[in-house]
Amino acid sequence: MNRIIDISTGQLLLALLFIVAAQASSFIYHLGLNRDITVGTVRTFAQLFLMGYVLTFILKSSNPWLILTVFLVMVVSAVFIVKGRVKEKQIPYIIPTFLTMLITYFTTALFVSSLVIGITPWWEPRYFIPAGGMVIGNSMSALAISLERLFRELRQERELVEMKLSLGADYREASADIFRKAVSAGMIPSINAMMGVGLVFIPGMMSGQILAGADPLIAIRYQIVVMLMLVGSTAISSVIIMLIVRRRCFGSGDEVLLTPL
Amino acid sequence: MTALLEIKNLSFGYEGSQSLLFEELDLTVTEGEFILVKGISGSGKSTLLRLICRLNQPTGGSIFFQGQDITTLTPARLRSRIGYVAQIPQMIDASVEENLLLPFSFAVNAEKPRPLKSKLVEMLQSFYLQDIRPDQSAMKLSTGQKQRLAIMRALLQDPLLLLLDEPTSALDQESAAMVFAIMERLNSREGKTLVTVTHSEYKPQTVHPLTLTLAHHKLHAAS
Repeated sequence: MNRIIDISTGQLLLALLFIVAAQASSFIYHLGLNRDITVGTVRTFAQLFLMGYVLTFILKSSNPWLILTVFLVMVVSAVFIVKGRVKEKQIPYIIPTFLTMLITYFTTALFVSSLVIGITPWWEPRYFIPAGGMVIGNSMSALAISLERLFRELRQERELVEMKLSLGADYREASADIFRKAVSAGMIPSINAMMGVGLVFIPGMMSGQILAGADPLIAIRYQIVVMLMLVGSTAISSVIIMLIVRRRCFGSGDEVLLTPL
Repeated sequence: MTALLEIKNLSFGYEGSQSLLFEELDLTVTEGEFILVKGISGSGKSTLLRLICRLNQPTGGSIFFQGQDITTLTPARLRSRIGYVAQIPQMIDASVEENLLLPFSFAVNAEKPRPLKSKLVEMLQSFYLQDIRPDQSAMKLSTGQKQRLAIMRALLQDPLLLLLDEPTSALDQESAAMVFAIMERLNSREGKTLVTVTHSEYKPQTVHPLTLTLAHHKLHAAS
């Protein structure tokens, strides 16, 4: 197997020519993106270098508590990102979202590292952290979409939901269509990714492994595990969180608590 | 006559609002009665009906339906016995028949006999909807037609009490007259207990409803 070729600092800086091209396009066509491109470039360098040093430290660690702390920080960050995208003030959804994410993602990462890959110890950072990261990143986006959709549709369709309630529906029956649409809206990107993988795009993890010199036939096995893991964990966490949050959108008399903004 | 509905010391204020919409409000509705609640916009007429079927929660006081505190009944069970029709009629994007049979798709009504199509056609006629076919889309009906369909749908569950929130506010004179005629018939011939909220100048023709005015946080007998 070939060893991965190192990229020197000079070569890394050479890649900045791509940014020069992007800046030039923005300048010539007055896209107004020059500032954002500059900030984005600086952040890419800074964040990834920082992550590189942190990962170097973590990957060498043999302390499971450190690995679990990193995992916890990743979940907390994901919850804040979801909160930033959903912007719901009336219904308290953060705590159940955090707890469900923590339990589901930990179980998924544990299952994949200890049973599917069969690594010992199960918290081996080279496997546990990337598996956790992929699960968290993917489900986080799905959750943000589903939650935002649930709150928005319940507000918009409030009168229709109340009509069903007043005809004897319980809150589950009255919001069944909205619930279904919201969960599937979050799930569709993961399912579409399964449809297009290998045909439309080569997934990042697999590309990384191949670039690093791994056998493509091993890389695809990892990728298949990842795709299945992502769909499963996204489905389970979305359904649990949405069931809890939907209940919170209704009061003790099954009345709609969300009021128009 | 037994009291079907008893409201005691009811108070309600919207969340974040300093003042109460009504305070220590009392009302007793007996079986077969027809009550007309009047009042200016914003006096809380609609909210009163919503509180009876638990679409809002009171700030204080109690509501009893057939002698039972409504908070001890499951919400679906309560709402299958109380028919409530909102001011703006809501339909699902389906046929007239599917809309009328919607209540029977809910678990609480699973035991109730589903009305036959022939009964629906007969009822459509008595609701001045003889030109409507059960298989046509409900979304394309006029507001007046939807309002009558919504009342009909609420009645198909055979509720003990029917609450109508401003049933004619969005209707033209002709449609409003039809709705008033239906209301009167339901009360006088079928013995339905009705509480209707309205701010229109409705003059009952065949019935003598008890008219109450909601003002200054309480219900008052209309002069």
